[in-house]
Amino acid sequence: MAADTPISTVRDTDLSPMLLAVLANRFDGVVREMTNTMLRTGRSAVINSARDFSCGITTADNELFATAEGLPAHTYGLNLQTAAMCRFHADIAEGDAFLHNDPYSGNSHPADHTLIVPVFWEGEHLFNVCAKAHQADIGNSLPTTYHAAARNIYEEGALIFPAVRVQRNFESNMDIIRMCQRRIRVPDYWYGDFLSMLGSARTGEKRIHDICRKYGKAIIRRFVTQWFDYSEQRMRQAIAELPAATIVRESFHDPIPPFRDDPIPVRVKVTIDPQAQTVELDLTSNIDCMDNGLNLSEACAISNSVAGVYNCLPSDIPRNGGSYRCIRMKLREGAAIGIPRFPHSCSVATTNVSERLLNNVQAALADLGEGYGLAEGGIGMGAGFCVISGLDARNDNHPYVNQLIIGNNGGPASPVCDGWITYGIPVVAGLMYRDSVEISELSYPIHYREMRLAPDTSGAGRFRGAPALCMTYGPSGNPMTVVFAADGQTRPARGVRGGNDGNVGRMDLIDEQGTEKQMLNVGQVEMRPGQWLRGLDTGGGGYGDPLTRDPDQVRLDVLERYVSLGHARELYGVVFTGRAEDESLAVDSAATARERARRAK
Amino acid sequence: MADLDTARGWRISVDTGGTFTDVVIADPTGRFTLGKAPTTRERIFNGLRNAISTAAETLGLTLPDVLARTDILIYGTTRATNAIVTGNIAKTAFLTTAGFPDVLVLREGGKFNPHDFSRPYPAPYVPRRHTFEIPERIDAQGRVVQALDEGQARDVLKTLGASGFEAIAVSLLWATANPVHEQRLGALIEDLLPGLPFTLSHRLNPILREYRRASSVAIDASIKPLMQAHLRDLQADLRDAGYAGEILVSTTMGGCLDIDSVVARPIHTVRSGPAMAPVAGRRYAAAEGEQESVLVVDTGGTTFDVSLIRDGRIAITQETWLGERFTSHMLGIPAVDARSVGAGGGSIAWLDPAGLLRVGPQSAGANPGPACYQQGGTAATVTDAALVLGYIDPNYFLGGRMRLDVDAARRAVQAIAEPLGLTVEAAAYSIFAVSNEAMINAIKDITVSEGIDPSEAVIVAGGGAAGLGILPIARELRCRSVIIPRTASVLSACGMQFSELQLEASASVPTRSTAFDPARVNQALDGIDAALESFATRLAARGFTERRIQYRVDAHYGAQVWDLPIDLPCRRFATAEDAEALFEAFHQSHLRVFSVDDRASPIEFIGWTGRVSIRLPQAADGPEEVDSVARTTQAGTRSALFDLDDRRDARIYRGDAIRVGDKIEGPAIIEEATTTLVLPPGARVTLSPHGSYVATLDL
Repeated sequence: MAADTPISTVRDTDLSPMLLAVLANRFDGVVREMTNTMLRTGRSAVINSARDFSCGITTADNELFATAEGLPAHTYGLNLQTAAMCRFHADIAEGDAFLHNDPYSGNSHPADHTLIVPVFWEGEHLFNVCAKAHQADIGNSLPTTYHAAARNIYEEGALIFPAVRVQRNFESNMDIIRMCQRRIRVPDYWYGDFLSMLGSARTGEKRIHDICRKYGKAIIRRFVTQWFDYSEQRMRQAIAELPAATIVRESFHDPIPPFRDDPIPVRVKVTIDPQAQTVELDLTSNIDCMDNGLNLSEACAISNSVAGVYNCLPSDIPRNGGSYRCIRMKLREGAAIGIPRFPHSCSVATTNVSERLLNNVQAALADLGEGYGLAEGGIGMGAGFCVISGLDARNDNHPYVNQLIIGNNGGPASPVCDGWITYGIPVVAGLMYRDSVEISELSYPIHYREMRLAPDTSGAGRFRGAPALCMTYGPSGNPMTVVFAADGQTRPARGVRGGNDGNVGRMDLIDEQGTEKQMLNVGQVEMRPGQWLRGLDTGGGGYGDPLTRDPDQVRLDVLERYVSLGHARELYGVVFTGRAEDESLAVDSAATARERARRAK
Repeated sequence: MADLDTARGWRISVDTGGTFTDVVIADPTGRFTLGKAPTTRERIFNGLRNAISTAAETLGLTLPDVLARTDILIYGTTRATNAIVTGNIAKTAFLTTAGFPDVLVLREGGKFNPHDFSRPYPAPYVPRRHTFEIPERIDAQGRVVQALDEGQARDVLKTLGASGFEAIAVSLLWATANPVHEQRLGALIEDLLPGLPFTLSHRLNPILREYRRASSVAIDASIKPLMQAHLRDLQADLRDAGYAGEILVSTTMGGCLDIDSVVARPIHTVRSGPAMAPVAGRRYAAAEGEQESVLVVDTGGTTFDVSLIRDGRIAITQETWLGERFTSHMLGIPAVDARSVGAGGGSIAWLDPAGLLRVGPQSAGANPGPACYQQGGTAATVTDAALVLGYIDPNYFLGGRMRLDVDAARRAVQAIAEPLGLTVEAAAYSIFAVSNEAMINAIKDITVSEGIDPSEAVIVAGGGAAGLGILPIARELRCRSVIIPRTASVLSACGMQFSELQLEASASVPTRSTAFDPARVNQALDGIDAALESFATRLAARGFTERRIQYRVDAHYGAQVWDLPIDLPCRRFATAEDAEALFEAFHQSHLRVFSVDDRASPIEFIGWTGRVSIRLPQAADGPEEVDSVARTTQAGTRSALFDLDDRRDARIYRGDAIRVGDKIEGPAIIEEATTTLVLPPGARVTLSPHGSYVATLDL
């Protein structure tokens, strides 16, 4: 039951500047409270430890309205999902709640369960509140929420909920709960997370009611209109300052033998029109859907190309339906990077190809000139992002399955600073928390042998990428199944504007005799106690010519062991006197100038 | 007042802030006298002496008189905090388990804005080049997986000795489960580098999560040399001045410790100032019969701190950051949960490119300060807005000690008003309202995470700027009432007057409700008792005998990660009923905080903590009694703005002319020497017999 007048198109006299600022804060506060509620009540580690969830509000006519600190990869599609809810149900009422995880009608990928609660005030549907969280398990055919090998949704095996009503009159439909509990491997965690999402969404509903009670519907309507207009204006101003350009850029996800022997091309055409104050993102030249789980959902295709743009604009522009008005998306139906055709699998949609897409857009913008865009960020869900599962001998052989969030790819260099170290992967951009080694070892029968940032892994540049993490772990009791879908093991994160690439990652299985064997980037392994998995993640790309990096920064990098003396000389052209060991290291300015001049020729 | 010729039994509390040193002197009847003087960084005693002297003058006494009558001096210091912020700390080595050198670099992840790539990654507390890997490994069950390589350890220590290191922080993986390797390293340090300060993680802070434990250890070790010298110097200066009484130091837990204890673990002095505000707030609220849910806010020129009291207990947290969350360093020890946001009188108003009004986080601070200070500041601040609105009397700011320039304030606000098409007054009100939002957010955040509805709480407001905006804020939060102590401007120093000697000891003993291990838990509690006993015995010998012990455990449902602190229902677990009572307490607490429980799920108990609290003798029963005989008299009226288009004549009162029990209705403004209380229409206030203004609001 949509409002008679769509809430976001009401035009009326302006609100006072004070009320505009105050209400913006109030709605932001609603999302923050939803987020805090979920963070504190989530049951699986991916939620409460890794913060792999997002909350947001859409309008009743399904424009994204408020997102606060949500993951970019999660929040865009919320409006597509609530649109699907409205499309599928003609009898939406107060007290309803819907479960949505359908990548063919707006979700990111099936593992991101989304709870949607329509918010009514005085009988009118005004908003929807959404709580979206990556689940520890969703009943796939393999114990992973990233099923790279799945040729289609059937092989993937996920339970799919295309905006299914799970509550009416605030009462849960226990049929659906029981179906999930029969299928999902860790039913208690799943149900705990379900309650947490529900609690978060109902909290959001309550808080929006508070705002409506205080200010009344007319003011809220005006606020929505004005807030979208304000956001659009911020976006227009930012785009107007960019140079006009059309940039075509292609990058590649690693091949994933045996499922696909060729690299996966990721293509984007970005057109900046500062006159019209628009950015067009054209993804139509991408390949058709693949017979594996790496296809993007529509939500991922949009959100990750859009995020690449936002990464290069002032970071306080609100991400909502207002600022999105300045972005034109061109997607092709049936494309692997576009609108997926059922039943192609989107199991791994949020990470691998999405990471490449996001990188591609932000790096394309670096072609606008000095000071624009970003390098590519480190990619790949290597050893530190695997899904581990098995039986915990310490706990009566109770089954466990969870994704590790302890790996770390290095962030991209920007025009003004080095990469962010705890970047994770491009689609989360440092927002997620990292597992603690001790908590991980306490919660799962796993033992870590090493966890360190690896020297010389970051892409050199005037600003350098952040380094990659290197780690080694193995089962501490029973055998442990490790499922992975990595990238960046043949094609690294690229530098831009003369900056160097980051390192390539790798994973090696080390057996009891110490023999090392490099693993494929996608697959699974059953590890015996005594075996170790060693993973090297990837560093971020550099920005600008390394020969123009401040020599004092290079000195600090050498002292702090991020860059070796060899690389300092070879890549950065910096010559030192003294020694790093006793901190007597000093830049030999004259020799450095000579070395750099010689190299520049 | 000099007739109160009591020979002894006085108590002095001192809060040395970055700019001012605040002093509260309490006589044996509990009457407070305040003193203030500029802080003297080069020798803290000078500022302290001056502040005590000003209070002594008020009493008609001399400094030696006051010191001679005083038994206990409680000292609160920002010395450690400042040293950390300015990087003025000891050259510290970080010793870690081989293979895990980047604990302090990686922290626990997290970042604020996913689209912001303009900020460099923050440096670790101890540089990587000062990090040393020690070959050894204990596993999650406390088993030695790899024995300590003593030869290597000795080599490292010799290197440290030769390289001018001034302190050593040792934090090994799972030292909480088995401290044998840390203990051995401690012995080796004492052997090879005698006298060099060091900190071992299992002794300082035996909690799980390697980053926060290591961070606490690194911070503690790095300030040891400095704080030892600082406290010994202060002690010597006080003795030279003729003070013979006890010297205690306030802590981040909202208690105080003797100098010997603090010197052994100086981290406890970090952020002790904000921790003291709720101690005062709790007492002021209790005096008015409130203790169920109390929010304590402390408003300064640049920061707004908020903390929370529930059922008489001050909320604590394990996640205190020294600065901004994620990008600074985590204190890692339990601390009073005092959350700071950058908002205050100095916050600057500005317009973003699309004309949205913003306030802060940039602040004009004390220098150049608000435009109306006429010290070079031209940007419109919240103080300028308050002046334009008529809330502050330009001739009676800080009791008349500073004259404010209304025209300068109007000019500054005009720059905001013009582009918005507003009058200066409307712009000023908008700035004021938007600045209140940051504080409303901060209050909401802490109440949400503690599962409290702000509308059921009362607010105790302290700090010099507290009274300007607290009533509109309370109205937004639908709070029942607001307590503004007359001593609001020195809330932290007052808190010390009400504090107790407090020490905690902890142990990590993970156990599940489905296989609860009472023997191991009891053993851990025995260990905790033993650790606390030596402290308690030492202080008992000095006359501090009235003590009690409380225990708590951090627990969560299986596979949850964040803990809830649960008070133990018993001293030891003797029967199955004892354990059941603990499980029940957890379920109830979870239900209260998160509105949900899950009785089918196992509960994991991890960190066990005991706290001994030792009452200071002759503590005042409550806040000072104020017996006023003056008649409440109005000092005139002033036109002031209470909404965008709501201008009224506000009645003006001088604080010293208000009688206990009298009711004052808004619109009114009460001007105290150190703070101003603005009563909007619909608010009314009474001066209570305990010296607090108690305000209620029409909601």
